[in-house]
Amino acid sequence: MGYDILVKVIELTDSEEALEKRLEGVARLLSGSFAFDQCAIYLFDQDKKILNLAVTAGDKRSAGGGCQKAYKENEGFPGLAIKKGRPVFASRSKPAKGLWQKVPDKGANGFATIACCPIKDDLLYGVLYLKNKREKTLSPIQKKLFSVIALQLATAIKHYEYIVNLTDANTRMKDMQARLVHAEKLLALGEMAATLAHEIRNPLMSIGGFAKRLHQQTILDPSHVIYVERIVKEVERLEKLMDGIVHFSSKSGYEFLSEDINKIMEEVIQFFEDDFRRNRIDVIKDLSLDMPMVKVDRQQVKLAFNNLMANAIQAMGDGGTLTIKTRHKDKWIVTEVSDTGGGIAPEIMGNIFNPFYTTKETGTGLGLAITHSIITNHKGIIEVNNNMGIGVTFTIKLPVAITGKLLTGLKRRTL
Amino acid sequence: MNEKILVVDDEEGIRLLYKEELMDEGLDVHLAASGEEALAKLEKDKFDLVVLDIKMPGMDGIEVLRRIKEKWKNLPVILSTAYHHYKQEFGTWASDAYVVKSSDLKELKTTIKDILNTGKR
Repeated sequence: MGYDILVKVIELTDSEEALEKRLEGVARLLSGSFAFDQCAIYLFDQDKKILNLAVTAGDKRSAGGGCQKAYKENEGFPGLAIKKGRPVFASRSKPAKGLWQKVPDKGANGFATIACCPIKDDLLYGVLYLKNKREKTLSPIQKKLFSVIALQLATAIKHYEYIVNLTDANTRMKDMQARLVHAEKLLALGEMAATLAHEIRNPLMSIGGFAKRLHQQTILDPSHVIYVERIVKEVERLEKLMDGIVHFSSKSGYEFLSEDINKIMEEVIQFFEDDFRRNRIDVIKDLSLDMPMVKVDRQQVKLAFNNLMANAIQAMGDGGTLTIKTRHKDKWIVTEVSDTGGGIAPEIMGNIFNPFYTTKETGTGLGLAITHSIITNHKGIIEVNNNMGIGVTFTIKLPVAITGKLLTGLKRRTL
Repeated sequence: MNEKILVVDDEEGIRLLYKEELMDEGLDVHLAASGEEALAKLEKDKFDLVVLDIKMPGMDGIEVLRRIKEKWKNLPVILSTAYHHYKQEFGTWASDAYVVKSSDLKELKTTIKDILNTGKR
């Protein structure tokens, strides 16, 4: 006997299943093989220094009532096993050195024999706790086996923790890599933009400029007026695209001054007033009065919000409600722009900040990418809260300007 | 008398557009296709204002600006370029104004008028 249990324990602990499933398998095996009524495995929480019940097997009746959910590190038989660093065996009728009476353990109530073994190597991982309602004596070989099984459990738990940590690290690395790729894309875009901007802008300017002259000065056939208007409009669109691309090549050109975010938002809202009216969009302004100053490049931040507004307006072609909210939360100026445009399809969420990614026929795919880069350049944070079927909320957090806050404080006092 | 302005740009289309548009504004428009040509014209004639492109083959706009300000300290210069970010560059500080090129010449025209009016006052 004995050794085949060990083989089974190794098989169970080495499986691909979730840790809890594996521990449950072991607990069931042990309660059966050692003919114990109940087997419980506790896991040690390294931070809180507490043993939490992970799995139980065996007598379900006592498993429910007789199993303590958690033990402090010095409580009951599990506590004693931890303290001694080796298995503890005790029985009610044959009090080994009076242990049963000395150690208060509600978990042992109603049982006659217990075996409790720490699961540990250099570190403590938990406790293996077997209980029996009748008197039972374990042979020296069984006792030895018991320790070996606990050691195997320690190895399994340790490996599991390694894997969890590795997976975490892997996820973090993948996340970092994605960000790096994003940054590289922007850099490549910036370099290309620097070369292209001049070459494209000049001919565009000629085309657009002369088309405008034609439009204003020549007596044209009505259908030709439409053609010329189209040229003018398309050139404006391309110029806007060039502005966007050039934006990525000029990271250094920021002028940070103390600004009032509410004032910026008012200006942005005003800029779109005609569009709101045309698209039957109600605008709710929920601007907090107690806003400290924020150190930003006014033009850039306006551009960032303009892009958010333009997106919101496009999403609400059939009307809707746009809510602009500003708040002061700790070290952040928080601005929320919410629309009721139905939200963003989950499958494209991962791409919305990527340059040149667009789902719109006439989009440049640069709007949100620019907003993202402007906010990042301000050491700010941009978050998207997508409510599929309802709408999207973009949350922009900008760090509060310390000096700016003092200035507003002074102004208030003198007023 | 109409104010005399010099437009410096290496692109023929842009020069023509500036000329037509600025003539409509009642300005006496002269053209130069390079920095060297511009400096030569400035030596010969007296101008009220210069519209200067930055990125040009040969002598670039920033170098032309430096030379203009050395010799004709009070001659106003408007830099006009495809890039926003020259605005922060040290070499452009000596200019009187900075305009980003666009098929919409409104900004350029207002800037020219503002500068010429200030000069008169």
